[in-house]
Amino acid sequence: MTVRELVNKIFFIEILKGMALTLSRLFSHAVTIQYPKERRPIAPGFRGQHALAKNPQGESKCVGCGLCAAMCPSQCIQIFREKGKVARYEIDVLRCIFCGFCVEACPYGAIALTENYEYSDYKKEDMYLTKDKLLSNWDKYMPGKKGEEYFKKFWRPMSEDFGTPSGQAVFRGKHS
Amino acid sequence: MFENAISPEALDTITKIGINVGIAIIKIAVVLGIGLLHVAYATYFERKVIGHMQVRLGPMRVGPHGLLQPIADGLKLFFKEDIIPANADKPLFYLGPVIFMAASMVNLSVIPFASNFVIANINVGLLFIFAIAGMGVYGIFISGWASNSKYAFIGGLRSSAQVLSYEIAMGLSLVGVMIMAGSLNLTDIVKAQSDSIYGMYAIPQIVAFVVFTIAAVAETNRTPFDMPEAESELVAGYFTEYTGFRFALFFLGEYIAMIIMASLATVCFLGGWTIPWYITKVLPFLKIVPGIVWFLVKVYAFIFFYYWIRATLPRYRYDQLMAIGWKILIPVALANILLTGLVKILL
Repeated sequence: MTVRELVNKIFFIEILKGMALTLSRLFSHAVTIQYPKERRPIAPGFRGQHALAKNPQGESKCVGCGLCAAMCPSQCIQIFREKGKVARYEIDVLRCIFCGFCVEACPYGAIALTENYEYSDYKKEDMYLTKDKLLSNWDKYMPGKKGEEYFKKFWRPMSEDFGTPSGQAVFRGKHS
Repeated sequence: MFENAISPEALDTITKIGINVGIAIIKIAVVLGIGLLHVAYATYFERKVIGHMQVRLGPMRVGPHGLLQPIADGLKLFFKEDIIPANADKPLFYLGPVIFMAASMVNLSVIPFASNFVIANINVGLLFIFAIAGMGVYGIFISGWASNSKYAFIGGLRSSAQVLSYEIAMGLSLVGVMIMAGSLNLTDIVKAQSDSIYGMYAIPQIVAFVVFTIAAVAETNRTPFDMPEAESELVAGYFTEYTGFRFALFFLGEYIAMIIMASLATVCFLGGWTIPWYITKVLPFLKIVPGIVWFLVKVYAFIFFYYWIRATLPRYRYDQLMAIGWKILIPVALANILLTGLVKILL
């Protein structure tokens, strides 16, 4: 043990350093967010509760092709068709992992993930999203411009552009 | 007829005794009431200080800035179910927390809070505090034994070993103060301090003060010496099996013991209710402030120090704890006694 170490030990130098740090933290601003009163800003493209998109005429964009249900890794989407129309479109939110594959798979931009994350409830049945609930979610959380821009910003429905993204390294042929 | 039954002198004496007893009871009621209120808000103060040191907010929900949190906690503890383990030694299980809290509460009686506010101004005040604080170990050990649980038992064993070891270091550290003051009476110690040129014994007895501070943290089983309660290894130590009101008794006892240790440090090292003469010389207007304010300020500062240490240091290992107590603190305290005695003889 060197003299320096001995002096450090006798005068509690390291402990005093630690205590100076904790004292300086005492006067710093706390990072706590008082949740129901204050809220964290929601990041753009947040993947929260689902919604079924509506077209300008106010009808569901969904055609019931079933790609979202086929893609879903936790298989929580159920679609029932009757006479060529979507009769029931149901999502079991408790099984959803919010991966966003359903949005990515949809060629028509018919399903969206909204910014709503506060939907806890007492009953399992209330967590089961039916077609009506999904459509009203669209009106609630994606009104007007927000809904129109949502897909353009974060997702690219295949029905609008079937090409590979211009930034992606692929063989593009001689003509270009 | 009554004039014959009790002579006027005897009646006079009885009246005097009655008045004195009445004053003593009022004093006890005041000290206990204020003491318990302090305990309640010491928990709030602790949670706030540690919270802010960890860049959190601490309690915020009950009342403005969580000010009613201690009351809510107390109410919750009173209405909790009282669970007694099936294989517990019931009489001892009931007795443990009572002994523990009584031992720490009795000590409030000899602490001089202001120049003539002390419940019992006895001549061996310092010795009395040691004796009664030692009694508290019985409460801890009995509850550890009676719970019939291995965690409680290990906690009780550790606690008794730790408190006994550190009581020696603490007693020896205070011998220096006794030598300088020439008295064991706590009021006399404070008066001797304000009469001395230092104003407070923390200056000439700095070594003893450091030893006392470390030993006081260990004596009250607080971090970084909270071996007996070590949450991560012993659940809660000796009071693992206690619930509701009995748990609250342990909690009360622990915080009162903390306040007692802070008061003892204030009385023996920081000048009690007085302030050093060199401060009043520079700032004469401070003389108007009543003594109880200085006493409380010093006690709060010492309690804040407890919390500050808790927020900073991790727990020591058990062998380190024993090594610090026996190999460092006791020799240092002995050397300090030797030095103080020599200086006292030579000057």
